[in-house]
This record gives sequence, structure tokens and C-alpha cells, in this order.
Amino acid sequence: MASDQVLPRTVTARTGWAARLRNLEPIMALWLCLALALAFLVAFPLIKLLIVSFETRDGVFTLQNYATAYGRQRYLDALFNSLKLGLLSASIATVIAVPMAWAVSRTDMPGKGFCWAMVMAAFVLPPYLGAIGWILLAGPNSGFLNVAWRFVTGAEDPLVNIYTFTGLATVIALHSFPLVFLFVKSALDLISSEMEDAANILGAGTIATMRRVTLPLAGPAIMGGFIIVFLETIALFGTPAIIGIPARINVVTTQLWQFFEHPVRMEVAAAYAMPLLLITVAMIGAQKLLLARKGFVSQTGKGGERREIKLGPWRWVMFAWCGGVGLFAVLLPVMVLIQASFAKAWGRGLSLDNLTLRNYRLLLFEHDMALTSVWNTIWFSAAAATIALIIALLVAYMVVRKLSRFGDALGFLAMAPFVIPGIIMAIGFYAAYASPPFAMYGTAALIILAFAARFLPIAYANANAAMRSVHPEMEEAVRILGGGRLKAIRFVTAPLVKRALLGGWLIVFIVATRELSAAVFLVGPRTRTMSVLLYDLSEAGNFEVLAAFGGILLVITMVFVAVGMKLAGRDFMLRRS
Amino acid sequence: MLISRRTIAALAAAMPFAARAQDLPAHERTLHEAARREGELTWYSGQYSAEHSEAVGRAFTARFPGVRCNVVRSTSQVAFQRLSQDMRAGAAQCDVFSSTDFGHYSLLKRENRLMQYRPENDAGLLPNLRRADPDGYYHTSFIGLYVMAHNTRRVPEADAPKKWTDVLDPKWRNQLAVGHPGFSGAIGIWAVQMRKMYTWDYFTRLERNRPMIGRSSLDPITALNAGERSVGIAVPSSSTSLSISRGNPLRLIYPEEGVLATVSPSAIPRNAPHPNAAKLFMEFTTSRFLSDAIRPLFGDPIHPATEPAPGARPVSELTLIAPTQAEAERGVPEVREAWRDTFGV
Repeated sequence: MASDQVLPRTVTARTGWAARLRNLEPIMALWLCLALALAFLVAFPLIKLLIVSFETRDGVFTLQNYATAYGRQRYLDALFNSLKLGLLSASIATVIAVPMAWAVSRTDMPGKGFCWAMVMAAFVLPPYLGAIGWILLAGPNSGFLNVAWRFVTGAEDPLVNIYTFTGLATVIALHSFPLVFLFVKSALDLISSEMEDAANILGAGTIATMRRVTLPLAGPAIMGGFIIVFLETIALFGTPAIIGIPARINVVTTQLWQFFEHPVRMEVAAAYAMPLLLITVAMIGAQKLLLARKGFVSQTGKGGERREIKLGPWRWVMFAWCGGVGLFAVLLPVMVLIQASFAKAWGRGLSLDNLTLRNYRLLLFEHDMALTSVWNTIWFSAAAATIALIIALLVAYMVVRKLSRFGDALGFLAMAPFVIPGIIMAIGFYAAYASPPFAMYGTAALIILAFAARFLPIAYANANAAMRSVHPEMEEAVRILGGGRLKAIRFVTAPLVKRALLGGWLIVFIVATRELSAAVFLVGPRTRTMSVLLYDLSEAGNFEVLAAFGGILLVITMVFVAVGMKLAGRDFMLRRS
Repeated sequence: MLISRRTIAALAAAMPFAARAQDLPAHERTLHEAARREGELTWYSGQYSAEHSEAVGRAFTARFPGVRCNVVRSTSQVAFQRLSQDMRAGAAQCDVFSSTDFGHYSLLKRENRLMQYRPENDAGLLPNLRRADPDGYYHTSFIGLYVMAHNTRRVPEADAPKKWTDVLDPKWRNQLAVGHPGFSGAIGIWAVQMRKMYTWDYFTRLERNRPMIGRSSLDPITALNAGERSVGIAVPSSSTSLSISRGNPLRLIYPEEGVLATVSPSAIPRNAPHPNAAKLFMEFTTSRFLSDAIRPLFGDPIHPATEPAPGARPVSELTLIAPTQAEAERGVPEVREAWRDTFGV
């Protein structure tokens, strides 16, 4: 393959490898390095997972793992539960988010800034923390909402019960709807009012126009958001473990965890994970098919005005909807968590003699692991974000500038983890790198690389967009004046994309700080992250300390979000290009 | 900032307890010197609750300055799962392994995973806790008493269940809470014991009452504190008492058939990365200093020099029930599977 890359302008006698190596452009070496890095991060763990699923522990070919993995009704039930949960959560998230996105993008609804803040906060809040908040809110007997409901109405039955299938799906949806919101809003932003005007002129009202024109144009975005939430849901570990076990709902991820019980049946877990991978591929394929034969072009070269739709009194209805979502997704769960974190016994409710700083004191000054895990989380996430961004940037540079015929292959690999559930990635990493010769189990490197691989697509999407925004002619100017490619990158490209990349770095950093489903399989005693410690604390019978630790995690995240807003612009987390 | 604050906190904690070298018994002094060179140990702790474990870790470092104890607390089956993952990957990370499921130890010993070491202090434990393993591969570090508890606001004392079987009455439907044998070692032991006494039928009937299933044996305490459920089954007496002392409206129930007692050992894996620190930690767990560290948190002492926690019923007055080690080793994996078939998770 190397010889393919010899550039035509170098005409030398082709005598042996030495000459060929001399002809190798530095770009080719870079391509090789990137290919190796991506093979290590993405391809090898997946291939290893596939191989292991067909092997006994001693490496002999077998189909027994698949027989074991699908040989029990309970295991199959878990698979169906996951599918049902994914569909339900994605539907709820879509119902929540589409009106919000429409209202923020197209109408004169008041309080858009508040709405943005709520979406952002719901995105940043780790899902398992929201789940704990919702246990405090909607436990059938003790939840604050149900206590209030009984007090007001005198009813016997609870208003909401978190320990049900719908309860679980709703909590997940309340933390994943921002993904749909982002997709749909950015699509709606591009649709010009003229298309709606055309419908209006022909006699359609606001609702009919929205239904027949605006929303169908945003169809691909809605579907994209739906699929993302579906994939996020079936790969989620924390919320199903925290709510699903008491609700007696077993799903794929909690079942995968069971295969890691003694004796560790990694091969069975690998076999069991395969359909999850197939479903993901099938979803993406279905999306392509469905959209292939329709046109959704809303951007043309002809300008196009974008006016806000005047909603009249309805704008308050829309505001109430957005406010309600913010209330349930962010404000209420965070409030009860804060209350519990300052309580001696959260069951005693709000009263002065129930207030204490003991929980925070315990974590900050007495707990052996709490601060270590905070520090681990910060530096693992920072290292992972840096690695992911460097790789993404180089790949994006090659792809956008078309420096290599095989650049697109790199781009494909960099985006591949997008469709691989995090928990499968983690099992792949365990299978590939835990044992000798790599022997990386329990090292920080294993977690950092797993995080980097997992969030590579986010970094790549950012880097790619940033690169596209810089026209090559500016680099060419440097090269015409005698500067090399590196000089051009250093003095022209890098300064131009700096801000966008900083935003990308921070997004990867923030999502990495809350990562649980990969970390829970890969941590060792000295590499525990905050999310894993939170998971361990959630079974310690002490919600007050758990809530306090959640509070610390939130404060840290908020600091980084604030830094991000300062350095990379207010909307850095929510920008899509 | 991070380090210095920790150091100050450690120093402050160490002041009153730190034993000067000449105060230590000779065997501890020798080990301490060797352990100092290793600097730390990692303790997979599934027996004591998170709060108790942290207190033990701090007390250890206070008594043996220069040897840090990394406390990795989880439920016993999760601790065992992590140990198994370590073993499978060939990674040596654990120095001391403590599980409430004492069946783990006969298994590990048979697979030749444990280091042979009998702490000298073992001879000073309560008489019936000494020499847990005749070959010295593991020794007692924990006694857990598992009882029932009820929320006194939701259920008056007179109506509360009195026997393990009382909770099978349909009137407790949607009112019970219990841990999970797939996570908690103690719940596994308890399930083996209930199955032994009442056959698996006990759990089929329990299932009809729709108990709320947590993971740890401590989870029901959270549910009771909140008033989410009224009666907790197989909760540890120590953590429940601690919760009561903090003002939560709970009361212990000592079941008439007997209190489930898990006398559980700790062991050093053969490939422990800090063997001397691990041995020193074993000496610590069998000395009175572990018992002293857990007593303020209502833990049950295993050393005769430490008084039982205030208000606790002396173990000698209780009827204790427990399966044998062989029953536990064989039974816990069985009840775990059966549980998942019966309860669905």
C-alpha cells in the first residue's frame, strides 16, 4: 500500500525499499500512524470481541457461547426489554423535544434563554444522578411528588411510580431529550419562512403548516434524534441498575454485567453483545433507506428570510411546556438531591435540626477514595479529550484536505464508535487489552484510551466542521511563499480553528466525566472514577452521602461548563455544524 | 492543596492513636517496617459498610503511619466479581479480600489463589472465632448479624412481624424491602439459610408480596428511612442501629427462629502486590483496634477487649443461625440463579 502513495512528482529510480522510503511523503507516515492508532482504539477491540464470542476460554472454536447467551428465557426477556425501553424512551424524548425545538427556533415564545439553559443542564446532568433524584421524587410511598399529591387530594394511590417500566423510560427520556432538541432545532433553523408562507397563502393555518410543511422538512433530523436516543438508551447501565433492579426490569446491560460475575464469562458476554451491535447497524441502515428517496432540501442559494411565527396567547402555552420540561428534567431532581445532601436523614424532610454539613465533610476530608476519584475523573477525562481531539484533528485534516486517497477510511473508523454502545466498547477493551501481552487492566491508560475511543466521533465531528470552515487558499498562500505544510498549520490553520476545537475538547471532557457504562467494567482499585464511586455509593444505604457526592460532581461540571462558555462561546455545547 | 489538606487531615486523625514504634508488639513492628517500604495496600471490602470500612481504613493508617489503606468498598459479590476480573486478566491489584459470602474462601483456597498466613493476633479473638481455616489461608475479620427492621411510623411495634416467615403474610404486599443475592454476600447466605429451613417455597411466596429489591443488604434501610417501605428483611443490625441513632424512625426485630450470623473471614491473594502491608492489615483486623474502630458506628466487635456497642444485645443472648461453609459455597450460586428466575432480576 505504501508504494501507492508515492507522489507522481517524485520521479526517481525505483531501486529497492530505501528509495521508496525516501519518496514517502511525511503525510504517508502520518496516515500510517493514524491508521495504527485507530486500529488500536476502534478496530482491534471489536474484532477481538467478535473472535472471543466464537471461542472457548482456551481459544478453541465453539458456538456454545451463543447457545448459552440465548439459551434462557430470562436472557431473551432482557433483550426484548432493552428494545422496548429504547423505543419508549426515544418516543417520549421526541414528544418532549420537538415542540421545544419548534418553539425556540420558529416562534416568538418568551424565555428562550431559560429554555436553552434547561436543555443544557439536562444534557450535563449525569443520567444516574437524575435517576437518584427521581427516586426521591417519585418513589410510590415516599417520593415528594406523591406525598404532596396525597396531601392535596387525599388519594390513596401514588400519582407517579418511578419503579415501573414507564417510570424508567421517562427518567431516561428526561435526560436524553436534549439530543433530539439539538438535531431538530438546527434543522428548523435552516428552513426559511417562505416555505411556510407558501402554505399560509394556500390557506393553511399555523398548525396545519407546522404539521404538513415544517415538521416533515425536519423529518430526517427528528429521526436522527430518535435513533440516537434509542442507541443511548439500550447502552445505558446506571439508570437501569438503580431503578430497574427495584422495579424488577432486567435489560441487556444489567444482564451483561451478570455475565461478568464469577466465573467471568467474557465469551458469553461477547456473544450476548452481538445483537446489540447488529441492531445498531440495522437502525442506521433503516434510516438511510427511509431517507434515501425523498428530498429534504431547505437550503438554497436564494437567501430566504426567517421570521418568528407570532403565537399570540399560545406562546405562553409553549413556554409552560418548556418550563415544565425544565422543572421535571432539571430543577426538581437537583433540588431534592441538594436537600438530601444537606440532610442528616433525608426521610425527615426539610427542617433546621435536620441540616448538616456532615455528608460533605465526610467526603471531602475523611473519605479515602472520594477526592482520589475526583482527581482521577478530571485527569482521565482531560487526557482522553486531548487524545481524541488530536487524532480527530489529524484525521479531519487529511479528509478535508484530501491528502490521501485512503483518508476516508480513517474518517469512517473515527466515526464508527458513534454506533457502538459504550458498554460493548468496554467489553471489547477488556477482551483485547486487559490480559497480557498488553496487561492494561487496572491502569489509567486503559480507561483513558477507552474514553478517547468512545468519544472520538464527537471530537471528529467538531474537528471536521472546524477544518471545513478554513479555506485551503489561506494555507496555499503560505506554501506559495515558501512555508512548509507544518508552518501553514501552525501559523494559519491552528489559530483559525482554535476556538472551535476548544469547544470540542470541553464537550468530550464533560461527557467523559459522567461516563459510567464503560468505566464500570474497566476500573481498578486505584483508577476509580467519580461515576463508579457514585455507583458503589448508591448501594451503601446512605442516600445523604450519595447526594452530597452528586453535588460535588455537579459543581465540578458547572465550573467546566462555565469555563467553556467563557472561552468557547455561550452555546459551545449545543452548537451543531 | 489537595494533598496538603489530606495530609493535615491524616495527621490530625493520627495524633491521638498513632502508636509509637516501641508500643507495637514485636511481630507488628517487624511487619510495619516492611509494610512501610510498600507504602500502601488495597482492600476489597465487602463486609463492613462504606462508612465502617472508611473508619477501619483510617484507623489502620493512624496506627501504622506510612502505610496507606485504599478502601474499595462494594457489595461482596461485586468485590468478588472484581477479584475474578483481576484473576482472569492476570492483574494483581488486591491485597486483602473481605467478603460476607464465606463460601468464596473455600473456593479460592481450592483454586490455590490464597496466601497462607495466620496472624498472630488471631489467637486473641473471641474464642469461637479463632482459626477460621485450620490451614491458615483465611481468618475471621467480621461478624454480621442480619435481622429485620420496621419503620415505626408506618407499622406500630405490636403489628410488626416477629418471625422470618411472618413476612410471607399477604398483608405485607408492597411493604417489604430486601437486598439481592447477586450483589450482597449476606443476602446470599440468608437465602441459603431460608431455603434450608423452609425450602425455595419461602421465596415463591415472598415474591407474591412484591418486595422492593435493592442490591446491598443495606438498601432496605434507605427505603425504610424514607418510608418507601415498612419492613426490611435481612438488614445488618449494625448499620440499622447507626441509622436509628441518627434519628430515623426504625426499630430492630430479632426474628424468633434466630438471627442470621455471618462469621466471615478475610484473605490475602497469593499474588498480592503488597504482601507485608496485607499481613500487617490482617494483624490489625484481629487486634482490638479494628473492633474499637467499628464500635462507635455500632459494628459488632470480634475482639473480647472491645465492649459491644451501646444498646446492642450481647451475641451470647441470641439464637444464631447460619449455613455451613460447604452449604454456602454450593448454595449461594444456586440461590442466585433461582432468585433471578423467581424475581426476574
